[in-house]
Parts: sequence; structure tokens; C-alpha cells
Amino acid sequence: MTEVVNISDAKATADPVVTLATYSLGSCIGLSLYDPVNKVGGMLHFQLPTSTMDADRARQVPLMFADTGMAWLLQEMEALGALKRRMQVKLAGAAQMLNDASTFNIGRRNHAAIRKLLWQHGMLIAAEHVGGSLPRNLYLNVSSGGVTMKIANEVFTL
Amino acid sequence: MNCNILIVDDSATTRAVIKRTIRLAGLTDGQIYEVDSGRAGLEMLGCVRIDLVLADLHMPLMNGEEMARQALANPTTSDIPIIVISAEPNIARLQQLVDAGVKGFLRKPFTPEQLRDCVGRTLEVCHG
Repeated sequence: MTEVVNISDAKATADPVVTLATYSLGSCIGLSLYDPVNKVGGMLHFQLPTSTMDADRARQVPLMFADTGMAWLLQEMEALGALKRRMQVKLAGAAQMLNDASTFNIGRRNHAAIRKLLWQHGMLIAAEHVGGSLPRNLYLNVSSGGVTMKIANEVFTL
Repeated sequence: MNCNILIVDDSATTRAVIKRTIRLAGLTDGQIYEVDSGRAGLEMLGCVRIDLVLADLHMPLMNGEEMARQALANPTTSDIPIIVISAEPNIARLQQLVDAGVKGFLRKPFTPEQLRDCVGRTLEVCHG
């Protein structure tokens, strides 16, 4: 059963029949976290690097931002029994969909922001597929922990 | 894995990043020693069992290149793998070190994941 993580959205689950999926990752980043012991999975699709860019917006839509989104996802996964130190971290996105002037390099800034956050949380990235100019889809199979990514009609295992 | 690792770098920040990455990646349960010069690195190699050295090149007192050459020339330390971690732009200089017996090099700036993969590969090759 596929559960879709929309833009500025996140989901955490321990339901083994679920595959978390997020679509149309452009300059956004899809962050997949998985605890292989308790088989708890989570996915975040954030759009912007930091909530300090717009505090009001961050209060209304915390999952729009890397920092507030990741904090929410970790809290939800830990409530389901996941441990941060066991989590497998995989991510995709951070493309440069338009020219620099119009996007302020949001893809790169998103990537730098999530890397910094992960380091602060003591989490290393197991696999990532970022950059370029094509949109991506990201899938996490909660039963196996397998993460796949689709780009330009090709599917890769991360 | 229970390997003892020696970090030789005059930057305390870099040493801290390397040490934290090694621990986060679970690369060893052994000791991680830190020193800030090549000379102190050689002294440490003579004192305790070290299984892997991660060394900067540009350091005061004795640079990493000289430390590596002396360690590789000494029969009691020549088997210890050394990885050079440096911002050295001259690839030929780094390659000369590899030709002289250094196991590999990692260019600064590096990501924690690059360091994890580099150290992990070396430990696997050297210690099975």
C-alpha cells in the first residue's frame, strides 16, 4: 500500500505493508529515515532550508522547512520506537530546476542545510542522489527498508 | 572492529570532525588517539599499538610527509596503514606519497561520508 508524502509533508509509520512515496522532487529534498531494528520508516519532503527564512510560515507549515520538518519527523519516529543512532539516512532531490537568479540556488542550499542538520544530530548519510536538473520520485519500503529513486523513467536502488 | 586509530592534525576542529565521524560510523570500538604534529605522531607510534594513521600534511614541528616517510622506513611501524588527509592541491605530491607506501589520500574539504568510506575501505583491506 502506497502512502504519499506530499510537498511540505512528512509521514512516519511502522506498518510493514506501507511504501512511503514522494513525487516531483525538484529543488526540494526527500529525506528517508529507517530504523532497521524496529522497522520504523519515515519520509519528509521539504522545500526550503531553514525556518528562520519565514517564522510565520514555519509555524503554519513546519514541514516546509528542513529544520522544523526533520525535528517533527524524528519526534514521530521516536514515538514509534525508532532510535536516531540506528536510522539509515537516504535522500534525493536538490536539483537546480531553473536558473540561479530565479531560484537563489535553493537546491544547493537545501542540500547544505540537511547535511548540517544531520551532522548536528550525529547521523551520517548512507546514500544520496542529488543535483542535476531533473525531478525525482523517492520510495521507502517499510518492510525491507529498501529505498528506490526514480529519475527520467529509470529506477535506482539507493 | 577493535582497531586503534591515530589522528595527526594540527587543527583541533579537524581532529574533532574525524573522531566524531569514526565513532558515528561505528568504524572501531578501539582507542582513537590525537596529536598535533608529525613528531608527536611518531612518538605515539612508538608507544602504543596503532592500526591506522590519519595524517594531515601541513603541520608544524614535523609535517605529515616526513612523518609518513620515517614511519614507513621503520620496520616496527612500516606495516601500519597511513591515509593522508590534506588540502594539498598538488596531486603529484600526494601520488608520490602513495608510491612511497601511503595507503591513500583524502582531499580537504571532505564530507563525513567520504571519510567514512575511505577509512572503512582501508580497515577492511588491512584487517579483513
